[in-house]
This record gives sequence, structure tokens and C-alpha cells, in this order.
Amino acid sequence: MAQPRLITGYLSALSAQLPAPVVAELADGLGETHLHYLRQGLDPDAAARAAVAEFGEPSLVIAGFAAVSPARRVARRLMATGPLVGACWAAALITGRAWAWPVQPAVVLLAGLVLLASIGLIVSAVAGPGYRSVVRAGLAGCAGVTALDAFLVVAVPLTAPAIGWLTSLALAASLTRLMFSARSLRWCLADAAFNLR
Amino acid sequence: MRGEELKGHLDAMLLAALESGPRHGYAVIEALRQSTGGRLDLPTGTIYPALRRLEQAGLITGSWSVVAGRRRRDYELTLAGRQALSGRRADWRDFSAMVNAALEGSPWPSPA
Repeated sequence: MAQPRLITGYLSALSAQLPAPVVAELADGLGETHLHYLRQGLDPDAAARAAVAEFGEPSLVIAGFAAVSPARRVARRLMATGPLVGACWAAALITGRAWAWPVQPAVVLLAGLVLLASIGLIVSAVAGPGYRSVVRAGLAGCAGVTALDAFLVVAVPLTAPAIGWLTSLALAASLTRLMFSARSLRWCLADAAFNLR
Repeated sequence: MRGEELKGHLDAMLLAALESGPRHGYAVIEALRQSTGGRLDLPTGTIYPALRRLEQAGLITGSWSVVAGRRRRDYELTLAGRQALSGRRADWRDFSAMVNAALEGSPWPSPA
């Protein structure tokens, strides 16, 4: 039986944001809801209107899946731990007089830009309503933070004239976050594998 | 009952709906409607992300089948899900007894 246009339109709105297996599952549920109203004696279009109304706005369903995406979970954790790691590095760099270290200004500028972009992406992944945008922003934010941590862990011991306890603490914080980022990547890949099924 | 009032209880209700055996998403919703006498007032589409969250938490497990040419995902409780449901039930009994005692003046159950 051909589906009413209202239902195909609803599923198209979901397909624009959600992975194919998720849309397939929702299509099954929406189809069952439509059948339920047909059995109650409604004509196909009225049954479609009732089914779509019962399912809720597509934006609500998309936001629900965005909220449970591993990318958002990763972004939330990065947002929660970011200020602590940042404070460790700020204290280490200020007390170590990092402005006197032999570092190219372009490198400092690039690191600053990556930091700002990562913060923006993480905030977007935590607060954004779209599924795809949350996944992309979460993964890109995680990649940015990983790159920054890797840069600091390698560059600071090579550049700093001495490693004090504050720098050691900041290095430990970054190393811990690097391990967390590796685990996060695994969650996101597991989710991607589900979405390919 | 509205979604706001259900916050915090939806997961346990979904687990309970799966206690008697595997169900697909729509069947879970129907089971919830029947068990609540039709008073559940949630957009059906929002149940699916909740099922996904429970699956990610390892409390339920999903498997695909094909029914009438449509892909269908069936869910069933895992052992961890059964244990979580049992814990939630005990918590709810304590909580509801406490609220009843406060609102209705019913006696607080004495410990066994």
C-alpha cells in the first residue's frame, strides 16, 4: 500500500538529519501507528494526520536522538573537564613564564585558534538541536582538543627550560584527557557502526 | 500524564514494558498505553531515543528483523536491565510510600 504524502514527507524530514537505520525503525513505528488509526476506521489521510500528530514534531524526535548521541556525551565531558585542564595549563604557563620560551608566534596563534574553534564546536555539540550537526561538531571538537593536548604534551617538555610541579600536573591532565579522547572515539565509532547496519 | 511529570520514570517504565518478552518500539508504546490505562501522553517519536539510550547503557539489546517488507528493531531486557528494573521498582515503592505518608497521612511502612 502506498504511504500518504504526509507520512513520506515526515520521514523525509527525519532522513535529512538521522541515520538510515534510525529512520527505518521510526518508519516501522509510524507505519504501525498509521495502521492503528486505519483499523479504527479513519480514511488514509486522516489516519496519516493522526499518526504524525501522535509521533510529534520531527524536530522533537531529531533533538531526542541528538541528546543520546555519543558525540554529545563526549562533548559534555569535554566541557565539564575543559576548565580544569585549562586552569592547570594557565597556571603552568604563567608561573613558567612561557612568553619567554623560544616559540614561533605563528605556532602560538595557531594553537589559540584551534582552542577557540574547539570550544565553539564543543558548545555547539552540547547545545545544538540537529543530529548531524551535533555528531560533526562533537567529533571535530574532540579532534581539536586531542590535537591541542598532543601538541602541549610534546612541545612543552621540549621547550620549557624546567618542568615544575604545576607543569607536571598540566601534562598529567592532558595525558588523561588524551586517553579519554581515545575512548570517546571508540564510542563514536561504535555508534557509527550501528548507523551503518 | 505529561512528559515533564514522567521525567526520571520513563526508563523504568520502558524496562517494565519489556519485562514479559521482546517487543518492537511501537509494541512497547502500546504496552505502556495499556498498562497506564491510556493516560500516557508522550509524543510516540520520543520513545525511540529513550530506547536507544537504554540500549547504549546495556540495559536492553536490539535486533533487526523484516516484517511486511519493513525493517523492525526488536528489544529485550538484558540481565543488567532486569537488575536495574528490580532496583527501580524497590526505589519507587519507597518513594511512593514516603509521598503517600506525607500527602495522605497513611502510615509509613514499618521495616520488616
